Amino acid sequence: MEQFEDFTQAHKLRNVRYDVRGPIAEEAARLERAGHRITKLNIGNMAPFGFDAPDSILVDMIKNLPTSQGYSDSQGIYSARTAVAQYYQSRGMREAQVPDVILGNGVSELITMVLQALINPGDEVLIPAPDYPLWTGITTLCSGRAVHYICDEENQWWPDPEEVESKVTERTKALVLINPNNPTGAVYPREILEAMVDICRRHNLILLSDEIYEKITFDDAEMINACTLSDDVFTITFSGLSKTWRVAGFRAGWLFMSGPKHRAKNYIEGLNLMSNLRMCPNVPAQHAIQTALGGYQSVEEFIRPGGRLYEQRNVAYKLLSDIEGVDVHQADGALYLFPRLDPKIYPIENDEKFVIELLRQQKILVSHGRAFNWIDDNHFRLVTLPAVEELEEAIAGIADFLAIYRDAFARS
Amino acid sequence: MRKPKVQEFEEFTQSPKLQDVRYDVRGPIAQEAARLEREGHAITRLNIGNPAPFGFEAPDSIRMAMISNLADAQGYSDSQGIYSARIAVAQYYQARGMTDADPADIYLGNGVSELISMVLQAMLAPGDEVLIPAPDYPLWTGATTLAGGKAVHYICDEDNSWWPDPEEIESKVTDRTKALVIINPNNPTGAVYPREILEAMVDICRRHNLMLLSDEIYENITFDGAEMINACTLSDDVFTITFSGLSKTWRVAGFRSGWIYVSGPTYRAKNYLEGLTLLMNMRMCANVPAQHAIQAALGGHQSIEDLVDPGGRLFEQRETAYRLLREIEGVDVHQADGALYLFPRLDPEIYPIEDDEKFVIELLRQQKILVSHGRAFNWIDDNHFRLVTLPGVEDLEHAIAGIAEFLADYRDAAARA
Repeated sequence: MEQFEDFTQAHKLRNVRYDVRGPIAEEAARLERAGHRITKLNIGNMAPFGFDAPDSILVDMIKNLPTSQGYSDSQGIYSARTAVAQYYQSRGMREAQVPDVILGNGVSELITMVLQALINPGDEVLIPAPDYPLWTGITTLCSGRAVHYICDEENQWWPDPEEVESKVTERTKALVLINPNNPTGAVYPREILEAMVDICRRHNLILLSDEIYEKITFDDAEMINACTLSDDVFTITFSGLSKTWRVAGFRAGWLFMSGPKHRAKNYIEGLNLMSNLRMCPNVPAQHAIQTALGGYQSVEEFIRPGGRLYEQRNVAYKLLSDIEGVDVHQADGALYLFPRLDPKIYPIENDEKFVIELLRQQKILVSHGRAFNWIDDNHFRLVTLPAVEELEEAIAGIADFLAIYRDAFARS
Repeated sequence: MRKPKVQEFEEFTQSPKLQDVRYDVRGPIAQEAARLEREGHAITRLNIGNPAPFGFEAPDSIRMAMISNLADAQGYSDSQGIYSARIAVAQYYQARGMTDADPADIYLGNGVSELISMVLQAMLAPGDEVLIPAPDYPLWTGATTLAGGKAVHYICDEDNSWWPDPEEIESKVTDRTKALVIINPNNPTGAVYPREILEAMVDICRRHNLMLLSDEIYENITFDGAEMINACTLSDDVFTITFSGLSKTWRVAGFRSGWIYVSGPTYRAKNYLEGLTLLMNMRMCANVPAQHAIQAALGGHQSIEDLVDPGGRLFEQRETAYRLLREIEGVDVHQADGALYLFPRLDPEIYPIEDDEKFVIELLRQQKILVSHGRAFNWIDDNHFRLVTLPGVEDLEHAIAGIAEFLADYRDAAARA
């Protein structure tokens, strides 16, 4: 009988990584199946930590369910797209209109569509390091080249526009901003954003601004939507309901196109083709968008002093900073901290292994820095989602682990 | 000070690979229809298999399940999908004869569309080939091309009930062929393939080490006792991915709720499934509310049976459409054994059509009736179109009378010319 080869994945997947939900998470699942209880601080999934969606969202989805059964327009339903356009109008984009808005099954689907419609093999995309790894992953999947610009830890994790610009080549098609930033928690100031916009202007790049955490900012950090900083740079802004409105499972996201769209007519046709291929995003969640964007914004309770996200962030920051050899920037936004372990005290050669050891010993699950395409082995990301008591316990466990690691190294 | 010269930049264009990707079911013709509607015309839309606008409601149990579970559906789920849904799907295939079906073999998606894209993206290197039927559901061809692969079409035989011809398929296998796609029950032809045809296709996969991709989204929409055979039941040595979901049978296309079931020698596809899992992780998960609809849908009373039995809407509408179309001079059509469509042929001696897209646009402009042209399904001539059998009998009679008028004018014009 003929010996056939096994069925293998496409080669292009070899260079694609998505470790936020990858091998380490599977190890955690294995430990759970063996009966251990794992404290999961590895993904920005709010529901398990007691963050409920606003009631009004659930109520309106239920009300609209009978009319959600058929396919919608591939760009999404009118009422949702109107609400999104109005949102950007209120942020300063007076000309935002319904045709500028496309809805998706979460921002994830839209990132995939936008890059697939744009990237030809060998095209380059400037992406931050550290990044949300889907950006790098999809660029690579499209046979594009993810060129990382290094966010500066010494300068609040802000990008360095000169460094970004030095990486532009004639193959560069787009520049990605993630603001507020995952994993660093930085919220970029106006001058940094303007400089990034200007790079796009001078090199004819599309600006891709991932703003999924836009309403989760602390202590007067000012969120500026990059689209408001120009009318001559073609910009695609990404956002959605997953984080601010705590309905990640519903998969409700949008993109908003602004700037000189007439110069992107052919590209937008390609993007519409990609929309049509998937028929439409799930319709029930589209009905949540108008409800979410209007009226009282419950997220404000969480981010002001006394609010859960605010207090949790402060506790986590303080406790981590107390650990010898751990240094961390306070997050100005988003749901994460990205501490640094002093390599002189913690000489880590492989941060993935380090995180697996932490998992095995303390049953605490964080994400290693290289999962975010970071360039050294000295960082990890944890979410600031658990309640203060749980965080205290978890960080105490991390501190224990680090103490043992420190001693072991000091002795050797 | 001299003003700097404004640089003339190139415009932003789509990736060249999209040039070869077509998806006309929702493309330029549908946009022309939208334009006419904005001018105030009422368009009779017979162009997409979307049950809801035609008064087909989802079973109450599905809505109740979604509502009851909505509060628990707020967070991301496992990227493969929630356990209760996957058990329900595994049990479904167990009941169809796959006694080893396990939740681990099931992956949920935002409709079958998302899963088709991911399955092909995980599989295809540039230049890899996929055998796809013509006519096809054009996402198969589109997603193959987008993934860098080559869609090689095998021609379904209109003179033989629109069944594939296994010899013809096998003649198109090359050393770059990776998979064979079956769409059964078939969109757009309505064919439901008999056992011997399916077994022959399974055997081609067996002998040439191809993955079998079986798109069965219409599996419970069959008429007159036509027997639906799930291709996965025909072998245990051919790695098979079966696609299905709630969109059609359970009339909730808008919820985006689909699944794949992997069967056969899955240990030989371990690396492939790792790649597929990576892609699933990257989009986090399928929308969770609709995952909760699956268990409710798959168990208990199956309301689709009322619709496909004699007297049921889908049955009667199909009967009416078939009869009325055949009465038109020069129109020939196979009765559909399944799915929601008819795919009539216009005799080219009576209707010499050079460009079926233009033909359909003319029909749209003159009669305000919207169908889909044959080439939108990668069909190989300009003599076919597809219409849906979803409207109520009266609406269908009205619409087909309009088509008949248009065709009468066309005939006369052609005869005079």
